[in-house]
Amino acid sequence: MPEARLPEQFRDLEQWIGWSLETEGERSDRRQASAMEDITAFYEAMLARMEEVLPYLEQFSLEELPDDAKRLFYLTLSLAEVAPAVEQFGQPSVVDGYDIKRFVASHR
Amino acid sequence: MKDRQPTGTGENAAPDQSNDRWNDKYPHLGTAPIPIEPYISREYFALERERIFRNVWLNVGRIEDIPHPGDYVVAALTVCRTSVVVVRGKGGQIHAFHNMCSHRGNKVVWDNAGRCRNFTCKFHGWSYGLDGRLTFIPDEQRFCGLQKDKLGLTPVAVDTWAGFIFIHLDPNPVETLRTYLAEVVPGLEGYPFSELSATRFCWRTEIKANWKVAQDAFQEGYHFPVRHKASAAAAFTSETNPYCHFLSLDLYERHRRTSSYGNLDYTPTPVAGMAYQFGSSVVVERGLAMDNLPAGVNPTRRPDWSIDVFWIFPNFSIFPSNGTYLTHHFWPVSADRTIWETRTYFPKAENAGQKFSQEYSKVLLRDILMEDGTTLEHMQDVLASGAKTHMPLQHQEICVRHAYNVVEDYVGFYAGR
Ligand code: FES
Ligand SMILES: [Fe+2]
Repeated sequence: MPEARLPEQFRDLEQWIGWSLETEGERSDRRQASAMEDITAFYEAMLARMEEVLPYLEQFSLEELPDDAKRLFYLTLSLAEVAPAVEQFGQPSVVDGYDIKRFVASHR
Repeated sequence: MKDRQPTGTGENAAPDQSNDRWNDKYPHLGTAPIPIEPYISREYFALERERIFRNVWLNVGRIEDIPHPGDYVVAALTVCRTSVVVVRGKGGQIHAFHNMCSHRGNKVVWDNAGRCRNFTCKFHGWSYGLDGRLTFIPDEQRFCGLQKDKLGLTPVAVDTWAGFIFIHLDPNPVETLRTYLAEVVPGLEGYPFSELSATRFCWRTEIKANWKVAQDAFQEGYHFPVRHKASAAAAFTSETNPYCHFLSLDLYERHRRTSSYGNLDYTPTPVAGMAYQFGSSVVVERGLAMDNLPAGVNPTRRPDWSIDVFWIFPNFSIFPSNGTYLTHHFWPVSADRTIWETRTYFPKAENAGQKFSQEYSKVLLRDILMEDGTTLEHMQDVLASGAKTHMPLQHQEICVRHAYNVVEDYVGFYAGR
């Protein structure tokens, strides 16, 4: 049994830990490189838990998130990243979109 | 002299009745198709460099970009063949210089931003204070008759308005920043820029398009139902306003402003709905009180409003919304290359929900912009073919027409032809 990386009550999300990524660039890369069925499965799993996840995270200050909570927090940011793929475009990338690799973020 | 009078300027202003026939409000701009040449011609580009970009105030960011003494940013003004260092001095004042060593011309700063105590040239080690004064020359005694006090970094005029830093390549501009902005910014006075600049995101890209091709794409809503069909059309159009007609607009001598429609009946998608419980986005902030917006933002106080745009000539725009704003810069590189930079701003996130909300808003904005990016390069690709010489514009594209006219007023390419 690998070491648990998420807070205890969110262990069901462990299988999505690969989406726990710190920067927009990493999250965007993963979205662009993933199959739509994986993106949709992650989206549905996260969306179903958000009503519990956000109140859980809000008991901490953003600067002092414990490591397991921080990983969970990064999962919520990945939900934000993949949402347009599911809700707007029906595919990982923007339909007929500009090459996102060329749109370089100077933020994290 | 063109129309400088804003129309609706307060809560009691009558609703603007002309909002689908803007050409009628500005007859001096005409209705004829505009020429394609300014978007492709190298000769035109050279004139823009000399007559526009060297002669106007240019925004290079915000004061929050350089909060502490020694913080600097570098603006690559390729269009004027220079690079400008903007730095916060020891006493807190802001200085700007050409990024060029007084010895043999090496670039003094090589990165885009940072913090330092002084600027030391990486060629022979000449050193400059934050105020640009030359402070140290290695092996100084070997120079003959050097006037050290005249060999500081070459200054560029710098001033701020509402926390926005502007530079002017003429160190003694004939026009102050305040005069330059006077016709457009009073309406923005009081907008909470500093509060909303606590969180800043920024993307940039070099796009294969003329700077005006790129900028024009953000000056009209006519493309929304088609180009943004997948992403944003539902929030910005409706059965009653299917083509995203402006709610109000004002064209000034050089600058302009617009108010965009927002669909009050728009139903957010699940994640969007969740995000908007915690904060505003450019897509949803409907129904919030507008009391804290200055009178010049959404001046007709229409409830079905989404966002305003203030176009600061030549290449800067501010999009104030309710609880968030964004800016675009379009920096010309050559006749068919542009550095396009978008920044989006939010208040400080106090908790994970707000952070999530901001993340979603910025990701959706980014994806909407990805829709815009494609058409710009496709257009540029064929504009130069010569197959067509002019483009027709409709009432709702009047900002494109106005922008063309203002640029041409400076450039004078067609004057006397
Ligand atoms: S060019 Fe800068 S010290 Fe020589
Ligand atoms: Fe667009």
